[in-house]
Amino acid sequence: MKKFDYYQPESLKEAYGLMEKLNGEARFIAGGTDVIVRIKQGALHPDALISLRRISALKGLGNEDGLSMGSMTLFRDIERDPAIARDYPALGEAASVLANPQVRNVATIGGNLCNAAPSADAAPPLMVLEATLTIEGPGGQREVSIEDFFRGPGETCLEHTEVVTRITIPKKRKGTGMAFLKIGRVAQDIAIANAAALIVVENGVCRKCRLSAGAVAPVPLRLKRIEGIVEGRKIEPDLLDRVAEMVQEDVSPITDVRSTAQYRKTVSGILVKRAIKEALDRAG
Amino acid sequence: MKRLITLTINGKEYEVAVPPNLTLLDLLRYELGLTGTKKGCDVGDCGACTVIMDGKPVNSCLVLAVQADGRDILTIEGVETEEGLHPIQQAFVEKGAVQCGFCTPGMILSAKSLLERNPRPTEEEIRTALSGNLCRCTGYQKIVEAVKDASEKLS
Repeated sequence: MKKFDYYQPESLKEAYGLMEKLNGEARFIAGGTDVIVRIKQGALHPDALISLRRISALKGLGNEDGLSMGSMTLFRDIERDPAIARDYPALGEAASVLANPQVRNVATIGGNLCNAAPSADAAPPLMVLEATLTIEGPGGQREVSIEDFFRGPGETCLEHTEVVTRITIPKKRKGTGMAFLKIGRVAQDIAIANAAALIVVENGVCRKCRLSAGAVAPVPLRLKRIEGIVEGRKIEPDLLDRVAEMVQEDVSPITDVRSTAQYRKTVSGILVKRAIKEALDRAG
Repeated sequence: MKRLITLTINGKEYEVAVPPNLTLLDLLRYELGLTGTKKGCDVGDCGACTVIMDGKPVNSCLVLAVQADGRDILTIEGVETEEGLHPIQQAFVEKGAVQCGFCTPGMILSAKSLLERNPRPTEEEIRTALSGNLCRCTGYQKIVEAVKDASEKLS
């Protein structure tokens, strides 16, 4: 592996101060399960790594008024949190199928988002849950909707010196159901396609619909056009078939070692449809 | 520049100077001679390098040695007790779960971590716990049977 220096700041200020001093030649490292692989593969060549592990402000999981997660929260902790399993099952499900147990013991939710893979399993559930990311850097603090966070494969709206500090999710409304689904070649593989749905039902009619699909475009997608079709209607088989067709129109997948573009298209429509059905079953 | 780190490996405390780009895996194998931990893919897919860090299985190829500073590490060398093989190791031998043996240390450590947390796992729970460990001899069935057998003997 290429040589690099290693810093372990104890505070955020110290962390982005170091990043400024190192003139952008350093990388922040959270769990490291992506960064270390990319350094080994020669895709990243940092002069230094700045570890975020000792910064206590980035830790902690609370759910008093909605859910608030420090960006350094481990997938293992999200997967095992009983309140997340009860109130935000789409997020718990995504956390429990991300990579493998060894990776989940080290990988963090903030790291997964900042790595900005179009297939990031944490993204679709956070999209349908309308998560807000708190970002901090030398210029101060700002909040960004998860929808505006991703810019392209591996690219986010973060400045080089900025760190995602927290991820917050609004409180769950009554009558809400949600689900996350993923298709991969084997259990631990990166998604061929993934999807999440969130539905609010009142008197049998869908009052709110949030849909997201991953690994089928340069960024994780919110499917707003389709949400608009579902809202205000009764969710019936004809409508779901139409949704699956519309998903195929709205995605723009690539062909790679895991799947052809055509398969991704077809399967993402089916995943969204199934996720809506599952969300509906849970909305009761 | 090398960093001085202190870590506990198999109950013994070590103080070592490591460069920041050294992985925990390479520290164990090439600096400390603990070659029971295997180097397979080196990118976190195969699980041959699994060790237990602070009670949880991790891929040692994805942990920098500097990140292991202050941590407690268990490798396959620390699993055997004075009375002999650990019951999980014994079950692997008896059930024919070891073929070429390359994945075995990682499999045993993932299984050990599962059984400590969940002494009577279902078959599905066993398969999930071992989903990050690849066996290219494809002897999964016997490995799962060995973990089941060990869980019965241990509980």
